[in-house]
Amino acid sequence: MFEIDLNDDGIVVVSGRLDAAQAPAAQEFLDGLGNACVIDMAGLEYISSAGLGVLLRTHKRLMASGKGLELVNVHKHINDIFCYSGFDKLFAITPA
Amino acid sequence: MKKRYARSFDCISEIVADTEAFFNAEDIDPTLRMKVDLSVEELFVNMVTYNTESKHEIQIEMRPIEGGVEVSLSDYDVERFDPTAAREVDVEAPLAERSPGGLGLYLVLKMADSIHYEYHDRTSRITFTNRVNSGEN
Repeated sequence: MFEIDLNDDGIVVVSGRLDAAQAPAAQEFLDGLGNACVIDMAGLEYISSAGLGVLLRTHKRLMASGKGLELVNVHKHINDIFCYSGFDKLFAITPA
Repeated sequence: MKKRYARSFDCISEIVADTEAFFNAEDIDPTLRMKVDLSVEELFVNMVTYNTESKHEIQIEMRPIEGGVEVSLSDYDVERFDPTAAREVDVEAPLAERSPGGLGLYLVLKMADSIHYEYHDRTSRITFTNRVNSGEN
């Protein structure tokens, strides 16, 4: 199960498993964002390359206007995947 | 555990549930779950995406081994494609040069403790192992 929503503070909140089956819904949601944003990943249990692709595409689009995604409350096992992928050098990441 | 799955991303949740049941039944160290889930998904998705000529289901086998787990995925009636020979991904490249392509197999190769590819009679079979305390390879 995967959920993505915008909270009252304008922060994108994701939870569950962001896999290849869920990536299109996540991409559609993030494509609707016009500005740089923070993604709270406290509830994110799992991410695969499909999910990484969603983050990368969105980050590149938003960076064109100066500022991209900021990933906060990132659990260690998710951050390990970011480090393997070199995403730790591309995104502003705050551990949980 | 040995089971066949339809060639659909919709089966990923079923594979995850079966993997969890296998880990529980065989008392496999749960710290291996992330690596196993990710590698199984990446290889399964690769087969579904690129071996479109096959109508056969994809078989996944999981076996407990000392200190970990061995996993095999078999795809039937397909052309040869060796994931272990996948091109390198430059994870140090700047954002402008990065694209999502190839990252999945890169992660599989990065996280597996061993990985082996076989191709016989139009069947592709990829086997990998993950063990605890194997270090970050």
